[in-house]
Amino acid sequence: MSASQSPAEHELAELIVSALNLEGVAAADIDPEAPLFKTGLGLDSIDALELALEISKRYGFQLRSDDENNIRIFSSLRSLAAHIAQHRVT
Amino acid sequence: MNTQLPTVVAEGVAFWASRLPGWDVARAVIRGEQAAPENAAARPAPALLGPTERRRAPDTVAIALEVAARACAAAGRSPSELPAVFASTHGDLAISDYMCATLVATPALISPIKFHNSVHNAAAGYWSIGTACHAPYTAISAFHHTFGAGLLEAAVQMACEQQPVLYVAFDVEAKGALATMAPSRGLLGVALVLAPAASARPGGRHLTLRIDADEPCEATPSRSAAASLVADNALAPCLPLLEALAADEPTTLQLTLGERTALNIQVGRA
Repeated sequence: MSASQSPAEHELAELIVSALNLEGVAAADIDPEAPLFKTGLGLDSIDALELALEISKRYGFQLRSDDENNIRIFSSLRSLAAHIAQHRVT
Repeated sequence: MNTQLPTVVAEGVAFWASRLPGWDVARAVIRGEQAAPENAAARPAPALLGPTERRRAPDTVAIALEVAARACAAAGRSPSELPAVFASTHGDLAISDYMCATLVATPALISPIKFHNSVHNAAAGYWSIGTACHAPYTAISAFHHTFGAGLLEAAVQMACEQQPVLYVAFDVEAKGALATMAPSRGLLGVALVLAPAASARPGGRHLTLRIDADEPCEATPSRSAAASLVADNALAPCLPLLEALAADEPTTLQLTLGERTALNIQVGRA
């Protein structure tokens, strides 16, 4: 699984683990295609807001809570990393 | 003016401080039977929480849930059935400091998890989630008089409802600019289950509470070897009651409820 993470996905995985204080999860073990929420990592809506904050601080753009594409954007490590790659300013 | 309350039975006692991690060691140090451990213990892990709550739990929650669970176990009472009173002088000043600093610097970038944990009743909320308890809880603060005020609140609720009440008091380390005005060091937590005398389990200590109002008052000083280990925590005024509970003999002590109001407590024989 870890072999399939790109460098950008691995950096984002490390940010997720540290920002959300995930117990017993190694960033390298997060499957880039697996769901981040409910199943998969089991994150919830407060985690989504915390993650959006950390991403805006790290990558310099705002993730909006009213974006109708949020379900797709936050669906997996891969989709979130792709969205960041498109919009990052730092 | 004096007001007497019905007798309260302290059924279960729990205590946790970094250098006195548990009631057994704290009681032995208070009684002079052993020296305190040299090194500070690691923060207790809030084992009764699910993984999502556990990874978000700040120090206030960890210390409060540790003593709350141990007091219920010592009393043989189910945590999910007890109304509870949670008392803390400062709540979480580290988070309050973070909130103030962030609101000044980058107000749109407040951490939702820290915001969620910033409320004074955070520990009470995590407790009710972790134990699936639907009984009411109260979260109170009364600055220097917090421990006595919380004990009085718990005793009054017990007397009015004629059922056991869990009392939990805690304070943690203050951080940042607020720590210069409201200092508090380390972690300190105390919990008791208070039961009506008529339905209390055997083995508890009888407490007779009386409010002495409208006269200048001073708290009973703590005298044991434990005092210096918790003196710089905001909840240190709890210690004289713990010293009375550690002793076998009956004792009378006084906590303050205000500048001119005292809570007089007679602790019965063990």
